[in-house]
Amino acid sequence: MRRIASLISAHSAEFRANAAHNRRLVGEFRRKQEEARNQRPQRDLDRLARQGKMGARERIEKLLDPGTPFLELSSLAANMAYGGASPSASTIVGVGIVSGREVIIRADDPTIKGGAWYPLTVKKIVRALDIALDNHLPVVHLCDSAGGFLQMQSELFPDRYMAGRIFRNQSLLSKLGVKQLALVFGQCTAGGAYIPALSDYNVIVRGTGAVFLGGPPLVRAATGEEVTVEELGGADMHTTVSGVCDYAAASEDEAILIGREIVAQWSRPRKWDCQCEPVEAPAYDPEELYGILPSDPRKQFDMREIIARIVDGSRFHEYQPSYGSTLVCGFANIWGYKVGLIANNGVLFNDSSLKGGHFIELCNQNATPLVFLQNITGYMVGREYERRGITKDGAKMIMAQSCARVPKFTVMCNGSFGAGNYGMCGRAFDARLLFSWPNHQIGVMGGDQAANTLVEVKINQMRRNGEPIDARATQAVFEQTKAAYQEQLSAYYATSELWDDGIIDPLDTRNALGVAISASLNAPLGEPGYGVFRF
Amino acid sequence: MGFLLQLDGVAHDIEILARRPHLRLRLNGRDYEVTAPGSEGDGAQQIEIGGRSHGFVRADLGDRQVLRMAGRTFEATLRDPRDATGAGGAELDCVRAPMPCSVVEVHKRAGEAVARGEALVTVESMKLQIALLAPRDGRLARAPEGAGETFEKDAVVVELEPRDGV
Amino acid sequence: MSAPRPLPFRKVLIANRGEIACRILRTLRGSGLASVAIHHAVEAGSPHARMADEAIEVFGDTPVAAHLDGDEIIAAALRVGADAIHPGYGFLSENARFAAAVEKAGLAFIGPDARTIALMGDKISARDFARAQGLPVAPSITPSRNGDAFLAQAATLGFPLIIKAAAGGGGKGMSVVRTPAQLREAARIAASEAQRYFGDGRIYAETYVERPRHIEVQIAGDGEGDALHLHERECSVQRRFQKIIEEAPAPNLDPGLRADICAAAVRLAAAARYRNLGTVEFILGADGRFFFLEMNTRLQVEHPVTEEITGLDLVRLQLEIVAGFGLGDVARPAPRRGHAIECRICAEDPERDFLPETGTLAVLQAPCAPYLRFENALRRGQTITSDFDPLLAKLVVHGADRDEAIDRAVAALGELALLGVKTNIDYLACLINHPAFRAGDLHTGFINQHAAELGPPAPDEATTDAAAIAAALGFRGFRNAIFDVPEPYASIGGWRN
Repeated sequence: MRRIASLISAHSAEFRANAAHNRRLVGEFRRKQEEARNQRPQRDLDRLARQGKMGARERIEKLLDPGTPFLELSSLAANMAYGGASPSASTIVGVGIVSGREVIIRADDPTIKGGAWYPLTVKKIVRALDIALDNHLPVVHLCDSAGGFLQMQSELFPDRYMAGRIFRNQSLLSKLGVKQLALVFGQCTAGGAYIPALSDYNVIVRGTGAVFLGGPPLVRAATGEEVTVEELGGADMHTTVSGVCDYAAASEDEAILIGREIVAQWSRPRKWDCQCEPVEAPAYDPEELYGILPSDPRKQFDMREIIARIVDGSRFHEYQPSYGSTLVCGFANIWGYKVGLIANNGVLFNDSSLKGGHFIELCNQNATPLVFLQNITGYMVGREYERRGITKDGAKMIMAQSCARVPKFTVMCNGSFGAGNYGMCGRAFDARLLFSWPNHQIGVMGGDQAANTLVEVKINQMRRNGEPIDARATQAVFEQTKAAYQEQLSAYYATSELWDDGIIDPLDTRNALGVAISASLNAPLGEPGYGVFRF
Repeated sequence: MGFLLQLDGVAHDIEILARRPHLRLRLNGRDYEVTAPGSEGDGAQQIEIGGRSHGFVRADLGDRQVLRMAGRTFEATLRDPRDATGAGGAELDCVRAPMPCSVVEVHKRAGEAVARGEALVTVESMKLQIALLAPRDGRLARAPEGAGETFEKDAVVVELEPRDGV
Repeated sequence: MSAPRPLPFRKVLIANRGEIACRILRTLRGSGLASVAIHHAVEAGSPHARMADEAIEVFGDTPVAAHLDGDEIIAAALRVGADAIHPGYGFLSENARFAAAVEKAGLAFIGPDARTIALMGDKISARDFARAQGLPVAPSITPSRNGDAFLAQAATLGFPLIIKAAAGGGGKGMSVVRTPAQLREAARIAASEAQRYFGDGRIYAETYVERPRHIEVQIAGDGEGDALHLHERECSVQRRFQKIIEEAPAPNLDPGLRADICAAAVRLAAAARYRNLGTVEFILGADGRFFFLEMNTRLQVEHPVTEEITGLDLVRLQLEIVAGFGLGDVARPAPRRGHAIECRICAEDPERDFLPETGTLAVLQAPCAPYLRFENALRRGQTITSDFDPLLAKLVVHGADRDEAIDRAVAALGELALLGVKTNIDYLACLINHPAFRAGDLHTGFINQHAAELGPPAPDEATTDAAAIAAALGFRGFRNAIFDVPEPYASIGGWRN
């Protein structure tokens, strides 16, 4: 494969301005992430210390093999919800290596309201288990939660994809032969008790760990029985009498060591044979990504420059280089894995839509995973294009992409608006993992466009009511709408709502995709086949 | 978590930092790059650390290694991290009845020192005699008085005094 | 040089084991003779048993007892049609009764006759004989059972004096007494040890020479009154009367003194009509006075250093003498070229007062060079038990001069790896490298004098770290933690997003 020839000058004023802007954005992202990960009220940290417990991150670091990566997902979940009361949605999820095996780790954070589950916590846990199901990834649960956040029970309990889904997913994981280990560090009460119970293996820490469907207060209220936490659901009882728990640990350290020993017994899954070549670092400096992304989100840039700073050796075999130029398609290696890249260089036209659909078919034929790099404002509109059938061409691309049997990964690099999101494998299309860059915006249409449309609706309404229309009122409506809209466009809002699997620094994209692709190979390839293409 | 290597009685803390392009280890806070790790097993070997090649001869005795390097002989063991966590602890203080049973003979009395694996009490149940053994070294705090005493399943038959410093 | 004359033996039984049995076997093989080894059940697969053409199991209450059962050994030799028995060193080599029984059974005994063995075996009679031949002998008092008479007489020698067992040797039943107050107790202990080890409680006392050097002379006699010497050896480096390092020739020895000592040894051997090889041991004081100590009527442990400087095969010479070829083939004076040093490698822990060690020899790696001999009967996987002497092997190096020999010995000890059982290898390296040893400032108290400096120095941080890393990488658990991580995780390393 030939190396991409970069046309960027790292010394130009534009490059430097972009770089400054993007570094600032990444700096802001890192600050928010640091806050969400580590800032806790001192009294919560003190309480943890008094109980002889470690923080969730410390447990994870001890669980992971030394010198190995950890891809944390959705670190800023719930950052714009609940007034910030649930940083990272009170739970930590990530993919890493334990005892040489690839696993997904999910840990309750006991320093946030005792690890209580908010609605977004439940959504994040369900998402983690969905990832486990899609990728056949073994799961390690680090349990330490007070249970559902009672005040918001209607948003986390009754519906199809709420708390019950966790246990349904656990059961189906087990049916698939994907192993689960639970380490019980705190109290697993009510529904939470099912996590260790539905795990294939579990370890419970003596003294602090407990598993029961109802805790002592509930038992006292229900039947009047007086019983201590240890007697009701402590380590010794469960590991010697009831058999609900498999191993008792004298300390959190020992529980983690036992957990690692358990994982070391697990057979290594057979991955399907993805085409693999020797790894090469990108030829261009990945830090140049900061200078390539424009500071103005409406300005266009060449995705090939982005690709050149992510893929092995900056080598790229472009498909149909002269046709459908607003969509860049081609093969490249990421950490040695051969992937098919699909990236936006403008709006989608008929030809680019057809090209995209065809390339997706080629990747399915070749068993090549797909990586979508999104920067799409939508499909071309207008009479000419409608007459040429842009709607059905867009539909064909969506059909090909939806029915793809290879794993798909999406990185939202700058913008994802309207129907363009669909063809380019947005959230609804089951990318195994989907990441956003901090500068990214997502919405049904751009902020200005939305505001203009809404202003027009408002003006029509005022006209119908016979109200006077003045420029100042119009402007006010425009500003208000845009402001409200803008908040919901930002990557932070999207990640807060778990519309992605996390914001990542553009520099981390290569490693994140490497881990993601590796993890995805544990599940077998899907069945080939497509629905009806409207030709 | 790090590894603890005992070399001639002195503890060395070893952490794995990275594996590529070369193995990098942190030994007692000092970082080393191991460009050629040698192989396991007995015999003469070379290991390359920080650009220097060291010849040595290894004898792998299973739970310990004996190395001859630079005209010296070293003996090394790798500590099982679980030993450091106070594993076992309280559960090794009691010996419980494996099923409902009665005492046939008491071999050790309260206050006596016992060694790990030593028979403490022989109990009988369902025409089967079982010797209850000491789970660790220690001193008996409580033991049955004599033959005939009966115990329910999981009842504590013998109790050891708590270990010091654990 | 003409081919060696054929020997009139067909088959030789070696009444010994371990490294000396292998050493003797090598010469037998080189001389085209069939060999028979004896072994106790515990050493059934040992190298000397496997190297020999035939191996016979001998029985006894203990492995050592089996090797001491002379009658059984002779019967075995007769059974397999051996013509000769080589007794090696230790065991029955200086047992006059055995030597006599061997010859009575019609077999050749590769060593002196029983009469000479008995003469020199009794330390008192040996001293008397030596004195009669005009050899200087340390003032002493005649032996007796311990008693006040002995104590009174001993005191007349003056102090320091040394008490020894009359029937003894090999360092047992000896003690140095420096003050009159210590005499009674020392005598009591010596007598009791003499009784226990040699079955004969007679002790004698002689003047103790301060800072004595142990100089011994290798002699050979034809049994008809002709004798020659093959130069001297220095064996002063001893621990508790056990030789640790031997060398030939003795360093820093005045040529006139050397000549006198060697001549005295030859005189003794000739007068005794000594047959075969033997060693005359002397004590040499700092003032240049030397005294006859004892005569060993056997091939000694340290004979290789003499072989290295003379170029002779002493076992072959023993066979030739027994064959009646006399001493004609040996030049007088014997050739002397360069310097040789022998280190006795023992299964002992120098850090625990040299307690004998046991274990399994997991790794055996010896250096190889034309100037080096590693005399051993070791094989990988061998269990080292306390059934026999802790001597495992001998490292013998030759050099153009003493400095070169020392350098080569130090290097060889560094390369030598006997792993799985604790040995004194590093201790030997310290000894040889000590400046006092290099200077040749030797005496039998050398080890005591320099004890503090003889522990191996603590290795530097770089070496310890390298050893720690090398050791860690030998453990399966550690290796798994490193090598079991799949790609791309191993290459991405400790990244966090």
